Amino acid sequence: MDVLNVEYMLGLVPVLLGYLPLTLQLAGVGMVLALILACLFAVVRVLRIPVLNQLTIVFISFFRGTPLLVQLFLFYYGLPQLVSALTVIDGITATIMGLTMHFSAYMAESIRAAIVGVDRSQTEAALSIGMTNGQLMRRIVLPQATRVALPTLMNYFIDMIKATSLAFTLGVTELMGATQKEAAGSFLYFEAFIVAAIMYWIVVEMLSKLQHYLEIRLNKAYSR
Amino acid sequence: MKTLFIHSLIIVSMMLSAPVLAQGDPLRVGMSGQYFPFTFVEQDKLKGFEVDVMNAVGKEMGREIQYQTANFSGLFGMLESGRIDTVANQITITEERQKAYIFSEPYVYDGAQVVTKEGNTEVESVEDLKGKTVAVNLGSNFEALLRELPYADEINIKTYESNLERDTALGRVDAFVMDRVSASQIIKEKPLPLELAGPTFSQITNAYPFRNTEAGQALRDEVNAALTILRDNGTLAAISEKWFGTDITQP
Repeated sequence: MDVLNVEYMLGLVPVLLGYLPLTLQLAGVGMVLALILACLFAVVRVLRIPVLNQLTIVFISFFRGTPLLVQLFLFYYGLPQLVSALTVIDGITATIMGLTMHFSAYMAESIRAAIVGVDRSQTEAALSIGMTNGQLMRRIVLPQATRVALPTLMNYFIDMIKATSLAFTLGVTELMGATQKEAAGSFLYFEAFIVAAIMYWIVVEMLSKLQHYLEIRLNKAYSR
Repeated sequence: MKTLFIHSLIIVSMMLSAPVLAQGDPLRVGMSGQYFPFTFVEQDKLKGFEVDVMNAVGKEMGREIQYQTANFSGLFGMLESGRIDTVANQITITEERQKAYIFSEPYVYDGAQVVTKEGNTEVESVEDLKGKTVAVNLGSNFEALLRELPYADEINIKTYESNLERDTALGRVDAFVMDRVSASQIIKEKPLPLELAGPTFSQITNAYPFRNTEAGQALRDEVNAALTILRDNGTLAAISEKWFGTDITQP
C-alpha cells in the first residue's frame, strides 16, 4: 500500500489490453449508428417534416433528458419484463442500442445547428437552379455543415468511448469491468485503475490527433 | 434500430414459452467477480470459493457451467429476465427474496460481522454503531440486518456498489458490515488496515436463487441433489477448508 506495485501494474497491462477491442467496438459501432440516426433526425428537424418532426422532438427530449444508465437498464432489464422473448437482446446489443440512441439525440442537435448555420443564400441559389430538397442537402448543405459539426461530433465520440464503462452493469466485461474484477482480486485499486485510465487516455489522445488531421483536410477549401 | 426491432418481434413470435433446460445444456451462473475470496479475478482468471463449488455442482449435474459476471446491481435483473439461471454470489435467504425466488439448500452458514479501521476504539461491537456511518454492499442483506436493530434510526447506512473495504480503511466511513468469513479473509490476505469489531451479530444462510417457474424448480432440484452428494462425500468441506481454513458449509 505504501508504494506503487509497479510489477502488478505491468502484469495487468496485457490482460486489460485484451478488453480494449471490445470497448472500441462498442463505441465504434455505436458512433456509426448514432451518426446515421442523428443525420436523419437533423434533416427531419430542419425540413420540419410533419409527424416525423414531432416524433423526433419527443425522442430527442427523452434521450437527452434521462441518464444513459437508466436507458441501459430499461433496454436490458426492463424490456424483457414486458416481453419475455426480448431476452435475446444481449448485453453488447443493449449497450450499443443505448449508446446509439443516447448520443444520437445530442448529435442531432449539433448537426442541426451546423446545417442551420450554412448561409441561407446558398440554399436559395441551389433551389433557384432547380435542385430538389434532397440534392440541396446532399450536395450543398451537408458537406459544409460537416466541417462545422466535426469538432463537436468528435467530442461526443470521445464521451461515448468513456460511456462504455457502464456496460459491466449489463454483464459486458469491457475494459472497466475487467479492471473492477482485477482490483477486487488484488485490492490494489490505485494500480488497477491507473492502468485503465492511461489506456482510455491514450485512445482518446489518438482520436484527438485524427480530429486535427480531419480538420486540416476539411479546411483546405477555405484556406489560401 | 428498426430492423433490430423487427428481428426481435420475429423472435418473440417464435419462442412464446421458455423451455425447460434440456439435458446437457449448460447452467448459466451469474456472479459479480468482485467479492473476494468468493468470486474475484486474477490475471484474467475467474476464481474463488463460489467458482469451485459451482464447478463441482456442474460436474455432478453433468452440465457445463457458463459464468456470467456483472456488477452486483445487475445480477438479479439478469436472473429475472432469464439471461442466467441462478446467482452464485453468497445470496442470503431472506423473506423478501423468498417471495420472488425459490432457493436451493443452503451451502454456506455464516454471521454478520462489523469491521473497522485498525486501531478504532470507538466501535468495538455492533452496539457501538449508534450514531456512526456504516457501509454495506448495495443489494446485500446486511443493510436489512442493520435496519432490524432496535437503534437502526441512529445508524447512518451508506450503500456501496464496491470498494467499501477501501473506504473504511481510508476512514470515510466508521465501519462496514459483511459476512465474517470474507471479512476475516480480507484482513488476513489484503494490504488494508482493518480489524474485526466484536463477535458476529446475526446468523445468515446462503443459497442459490432460481426463478419460480417449472424450469427453475427442475434446476433447483438438480442442484439440490448435487449439493447433497458433495456434502456427503466431503467435497464441500474440502473446498471450504481450501479457501477459509474452516468448514463454513455446515450449520
